[in-house]
Amino acid sequence: MQSFFDLLRKIIRTGVGKSRFFMASVGLGIAMVLILIALQVNTDFNQLLYSDKNQNETADFLVINKKVTNSMMGQPGKSVFSPAEIENIRKQSFVQATGLITSSQFKVVAQAPGDLHFATDMFFEAVPDSFIDVKEDDWKWNPGDRTIPIILPNDFLNLYNFGFSLSQNLPQISQETVKALPLQVVISNNQTSDTYTGHIVGFSDRISSFLVPASFMDWANQKYAGSSSAPASRIVIKTADPSNPALVKFLDDNGYTANQDKLKFSKTRVIVQTIVSVIGFFGLILLFFALLVFSMFIQLVIASCRKEIQLLVTLGTAPRQLQRYLLKQFVPLYFIIGILSLLLVTVLQYFAAGLLAKHDMVVSPLPGIGTIIGTVLILALVYIVNVATVSRYILQDQ
Amino acid sequence: MQIQLDHLLPIPLKDKILQRKSGIWNENIQFNPGSFVKIKAPSGTGKTTLVHYLYHIRYDYTGNVLINGKPWSGYNRNETASLRQQKISVIFQDLRLFEQLTALENIELKRVMNPQPYCTVEKVREMAARLNVTHVLDQSGKTLSYGERQRIAIIRALVQPFEWLFMDEPFSHLDEENTSRAAALIAEECKSRQAGFILTDLDHDQHFSYDVLYQL
Repeated sequence: MQSFFDLLRKIIRTGVGKSRFFMASVGLGIAMVLILIALQVNTDFNQLLYSDKNQNETADFLVINKKVTNSMMGQPGKSVFSPAEIENIRKQSFVQATGLITSSQFKVVAQAPGDLHFATDMFFEAVPDSFIDVKEDDWKWNPGDRTIPIILPNDFLNLYNFGFSLSQNLPQISQETVKALPLQVVISNNQTSDTYTGHIVGFSDRISSFLVPASFMDWANQKYAGSSSAPASRIVIKTADPSNPALVKFLDDNGYTANQDKLKFSKTRVIVQTIVSVIGFFGLILLFFALLVFSMFIQLVIASCRKEIQLLVTLGTAPRQLQRYLLKQFVPLYFIIGILSLLLVTVLQYFAAGLLAKHDMVVSPLPGIGTIIGTVLILALVYIVNVATVSRYILQDQ
Repeated sequence: MQIQLDHLLPIPLKDKILQRKSGIWNENIQFNPGSFVKIKAPSGTGKTTLVHYLYHIRYDYTGNVLINGKPWSGYNRNETASLRQQKISVIFQDLRLFEQLTALENIELKRVMNPQPYCTVEKVREMAARLNVTHVLDQSGKTLSYGERQRIAIIRALVQPFEWLFMDEPFSHLDEENTSRAAALIAEECKSRQAGFILTDLDHDQHFSYDVLYQL
């Protein structure tokens, strides 16, 4: 036997304006996909920024120094950090740890061994070991050792290999060779001069300086300059998020600079967020129009069956029965659209994760919880708008 | 269920009615449960209007129609619907069938509107047989004659539970034989529910043993 809804289906024709309804459904689908993509890209971006799997070594250490301006030239005291300034940096919420970069207060001359006839004045700096990205067993120095482990900046070797050596007709040197070369290091002050053997143990991307172990620096400063600590003019900080706009603002406000490259990430982030917001915004606009068309469609259906609905109510059909019937005509479609949109975003996310993985960027191949919550919220919104429209026009009809 | 008229007066007919004596309009009347009530009235005195007021699909009156002591306006839409599904049934003069449904579907609509139907499909067929409309059950409402429509409307009114049945000239399109068959069926169904009815018609008739007679 036919159910009540079967009979209602013959009376209340929802076929009017089917093409409009179809267009609105497509609109809803596109709107949902756009909004979900915006949410998902946001999740992915956060994952790229913060997830442990994506922490690349250089991302979370910044070397900060004061800007050297024309007015400061000749006054080296102006470029050092006062204890109050250091304390202030340490207090910032985005700073997880700080390390002072201690510079040598003695003269250093390095000479290449053998026939290379290469000698240069240079300097050393030291930072606490925890800030160093070269993990080497040789990276230690005890009083009495004649060999000093040294870390060179990667950039330095590059400058030599691709700039200096080519122009001077000198041989290019590999990292391994550099590590094997014993350097003669002459350390002197005005009275004494000592020769040590320098041993390059590694190359750092993080700190652009010639690093020696802190223990050696303390000892040598004491021995050759008579003081163990000099005021720091460079500070290395550890931060969870070098693209944090608050960090960039803090640096600007205080006239500090840092490795610009890392801070540029902050701009990228703003750009990505803008694009994502624009996509999300268009999605919301489209969603709004889809809702509008759905409302108008429901209105049209109810208006086109005005007489029939009136008679149904006269015969005793409860408004809530009609409401349930009408919602049953539309709502399943919304859920199908919602699930299809989520599936589409899942597929896109899966491929995006695959593509990113080729560039060593790890994002989850499944949509984030935010995307799923977004789907549920949009469906809830669509449902509420439908219920509101149906009940308003059904009631208005009597 | 008590139905009470409290100085009910249709606004459009007000002047006309106040010039003459009426047994219903502007009176205080109570219809007792289970009683068979006949309201006789010539054309144009508001028979259909009265039935519509009783069934609460017209509201242009002064005074009150009280259902169980509460005016119709005190019931919300869902309560009204529930009354129409459970306590009150109606046969309109203009029949009001859905033309896009077959005769049987028109009856079924009313039967299954209630999630727990009051009577079975067999019972519907039995009633159709008694009123000689079995052969039109599968015809579209559009193609039925007035007499057939009237009998379908009667069956439709009888497939639901009710305590009161309102009938507005229910036999106007039926011949004598069909009228007496229909009347017998209605009386039987009312008795089995211990329900009453209010019937309006133009003339005196002997179709039922009325308990009360009013002149509109």
